[in-house]
Amino acid sequence: MEFIYYFGDVFTPLSFMLLLGGTIGGLILGATPGLSPTMAVALLIPFTFQLEAAQGLILLGAAYTSTVAGGAVSAILLKIPGAPANIATTLDGHTMAKQGQGARALQLSFLASAVGGIFGVLLLIFLTPVLAQWALAFGPSHLFWLAILGVTVIGTLDSASVVKGLLSGCIGLWLATIGFDDIMGAQRFIFHPALGGGINIIAALIGLFAIPQVLTMFAKGRHNTGAEVIEVQRHSILEAFRELFSRTRALSIGTLTGSIIGLIPGVGGQIAGLVAYDQTKKFSSEKDKFGTGHSEGVIAAESANNAMVGPSLVPLLTLSIPGSPTAAVLLGGLLIHGIFPGSDLFDNHPDVAWTFINSMLIGQVLMCIFGLYVAGLAARVAQVPQSVMAAIVLSLSVFGAYSVQGSMGDVYVMACLGIGMFFLERFGFSAAPLVLGLILGPIAEANFIQGGMIADASVGKASYFLTGGLNLFLIAVVLASIAYSVWMELRSRRYTTKEEAQA
Amino acid sequence: MRRMIAGAALGLMSLAGAAAAEEYPERPIMMMVSYGAGGATDFQARIVTMTSGNEDALGMPIAIINKPGAGGRVGWNWFATQADPDGYTLAAYNVPHFIAQSIKGGVEYSTDSFEPIANWGADPAVFVVGADSEFNSMEDVVAFAKENPGKLTVSGAGLFVGHHIAALQIDKAAGTKMAYIPTKGGGAAAMKAVIAGEVLGGINNLSDAFRAQEAGNVKILGVADLERNAFLPDVPTMMEQGLDVDNSSVNFRGVMVPKGTSPEIIEKLSATVPEMFANSRVAKKMEAGGSPMHIMTRDEVIEMWAQRQQTLNELLAGL
Amino acid sequence: MNRSQHIFGSGLVFAVGLWVAWVSYTQQPAEAFLFPRLIATVFVGLAGWTFGKAVMGLSKVGNGVTRAMFLNMLPGLIITLIYVFWAAKSLGFYTATAIAFFVLLSIYDPDPHTEAKTWVKRGVITAVFLAVMYGLFAMLLNVYTPREILF
Repeated sequence: MEFIYYFGDVFTPLSFMLLLGGTIGGLILGATPGLSPTMAVALLIPFTFQLEAAQGLILLGAAYTSTVAGGAVSAILLKIPGAPANIATTLDGHTMAKQGQGARALQLSFLASAVGGIFGVLLLIFLTPVLAQWALAFGPSHLFWLAILGVTVIGTLDSASVVKGLLSGCIGLWLATIGFDDIMGAQRFIFHPALGGGINIIAALIGLFAIPQVLTMFAKGRHNTGAEVIEVQRHSILEAFRELFSRTRALSIGTLTGSIIGLIPGVGGQIAGLVAYDQTKKFSSEKDKFGTGHSEGVIAAESANNAMVGPSLVPLLTLSIPGSPTAAVLLGGLLIHGIFPGSDLFDNHPDVAWTFINSMLIGQVLMCIFGLYVAGLAARVAQVPQSVMAAIVLSLSVFGAYSVQGSMGDVYVMACLGIGMFFLERFGFSAAPLVLGLILGPIAEANFIQGGMIADASVGKASYFLTGGLNLFLIAVVLASIAYSVWMELRSRRYTTKEEAQA
Repeated sequence: MRRMIAGAALGLMSLAGAAAAEEYPERPIMMMVSYGAGGATDFQARIVTMTSGNEDALGMPIAIINKPGAGGRVGWNWFATQADPDGYTLAAYNVPHFIAQSIKGGVEYSTDSFEPIANWGADPAVFVVGADSEFNSMEDVVAFAKENPGKLTVSGAGLFVGHHIAALQIDKAAGTKMAYIPTKGGGAAAMKAVIAGEVLGGINNLSDAFRAQEAGNVKILGVADLERNAFLPDVPTMMEQGLDVDNSSVNFRGVMVPKGTSPEIIEKLSATVPEMFANSRVAKKMEAGGSPMHIMTRDEVIEMWAQRQQTLNELLAGL
Repeated sequence: MNRSQHIFGSGLVFAVGLWVAWVSYTQQPAEAFLFPRLIATVFVGLAGWTFGKAVMGLSKVGNGVTRAMFLNMLPGLIITLIYVFWAAKSLGFYTATAIAFFVLLSIYDPDPHTEAKTWVKRGVITAVFLAVMYGLFAMLLNVYTPREILF
């Protein structure tokens, strides 16, 4: 309960100003395509040079929480996920926005973010020592199986055909191998200099999601019929509250999955949203509605990716190991002030540690209030005429892809992937499994090779990868996931044949 | 006539070049770091460049851009082949990393592709083991490695980076064969492997290891440098423990520009940048973050590069 | 129409798969290509299956690209390609964006071209948008984009 003692520090005028500034700034940065939370936090580091340690961290903590939530804004309104965490949000969120329910989608996403986020930070406050051990338990073999678990999700994710879903995933896995391989340093598939650095995940995300959008708008042509004008429905916040708490299944699955996966160093943040989305879909009684603008999809994805924020800092704050790229940047922010995370932080600088954690808690609430406030207004983006929208999204994509690493190569890659994806989508492939492959490929590969090297020097590959409680548990989950997909596929096939017979 | 025009054009060009150097820099400068945001190199690069906007320094801010991947190869390859030599694109170098990689091949850079400006830090490699490990000195480690050839797993940040060089030198000095495990995700991931007990030992940056030891997670058994380090006065060097390991693996970090940058700009940078590093605010922040500083001028760096090139050529020849 | 398009689309993916497999199995060092080989094998298998289905006319998912759609899209696509692959770098980001934005707007805006008001509106939207982009990227985020001519 020590943290309550330090709550006062968050509410001093300067701290609160920083918290407010960090939250609002974070939302704007997060909503900008091409700016992932990691980059947004890195951009803010220089501002903390002038501040006290605790105040600097308030700014960074607030920015971290709100950039993650802000990513949902561009995911819902423009179908450009700001970071891998927001991919799942596009699936239902953007469909809702297109139906004029943008306000509802945004409100739900901010509320779900706040619920998930607060739960995650509370975990960080109360269970840190226990969770730290859990985070360390994941070695290369476990991360490998975890990545494979992610791969099994591919086939059933947002795709009408399982084979094409898997094939999209394969394309993603292949794209991820382009560039220098991380361990040996060998060059693979570099057939153009722009690919020398491999495919940047943020640039790829922008291209794969935004460019097909733009081209689809072009394809509708110049003469828009009246039916194209979307009526943006107003939606009361109270109703959003009610809806959120009537979807307890999605909310709790999202929050729990996000918290657990967020904890795992090196994997967490990127796939939390997608895994939560998939799990919610499997347990939902309205499976068929997913992908058609179903609110459960938004709630699960957004509660998961904000729930991951708190736990993702556990390894950093207790063991001084940054578990995610953003945590690594935060580590820099601490070190600049001469504070070493770990026991030093909580024993000698409790004011800094707890003010930081408290600011994330308050930040979640502020983010939610501010988000709800602008949701109605922001949803009007859907009313922007198609011609203007296409041009805006295209320009934003170019600027966003460039600003990731200041490189034209990323812009070219973004455009090529985007144009390719447009045509693939016309033939029943989809972007989400492709991106999942792109994210999981390197994790699976690096951990397989690294685990293999450790195994060869110790117990041998078979026993390293196939024995031990956690390994067996993960393998069982993988098998269950595959069996479930097969079963669903068979069942739906029987249904369709029956329907066809009736017709 | 034609010769006159050519001469005039040439004169005009050199004039323009000089004028450009006079006004340089007139816009923000970009510095590429070939490791991820939050890594030791990135963190230090951000600190040492934080005062560049001051009037007595460059008068323009330096923005850090990260191009991580494959132990730095991605960033340096980009820098050697695609960066504009206009003085507005700098990069951080890590020696011995990029030199060792250029010797092993498969990359498009070498010491000839870059012009050093100044060095800001020197971070020695250290040997770490988990806090509850039964190894208490390098002697224990070597004894284990001799009894179990190929079974001593040692993590490090990648192949042919400073950590790997240190591992190779230890192997050579002690006549052992350790299983070096390169990790994806740099020093932090390698340190995690040690703390979690996935590997028996690890080689890591002194700055990161110092922090982990403060947090009570690891023991530091030896420093791969010529002298003990001010941060760790109690930890003996490898040499003191009877292993003939010199300072070849010490991770020197500094600033460089691509070959082809105009001499005037190089001159201006190499005069200003070391002073910028020497700023007392920079020193204080670096000290607070546990990062050893070591400022060297352009001439000293050129010499250091040449020397590393030679020792690494010898060390890597047998592989 | 649809069937031949499916054959073309999945055939292209199949061809890419074969190329990936060929590269993975011929390039050295073998250790670095272990994973690509695994992926390529599955890739070729699935792509072959899809291609086979398309040839037999069994592909149901996906609507293909109709002629009308393609013709509508073509001018936009061409401008996109010029903008991304040439203009952005050679003219500078803001100049190229201004031109591309205005041209795209003019092509796809359904308002009549004959009225002066339409053109003023298009110009104003372009100017406002560029001002926002400049404020966000150049001033707030300090991203230095290629400038070349103008800014």
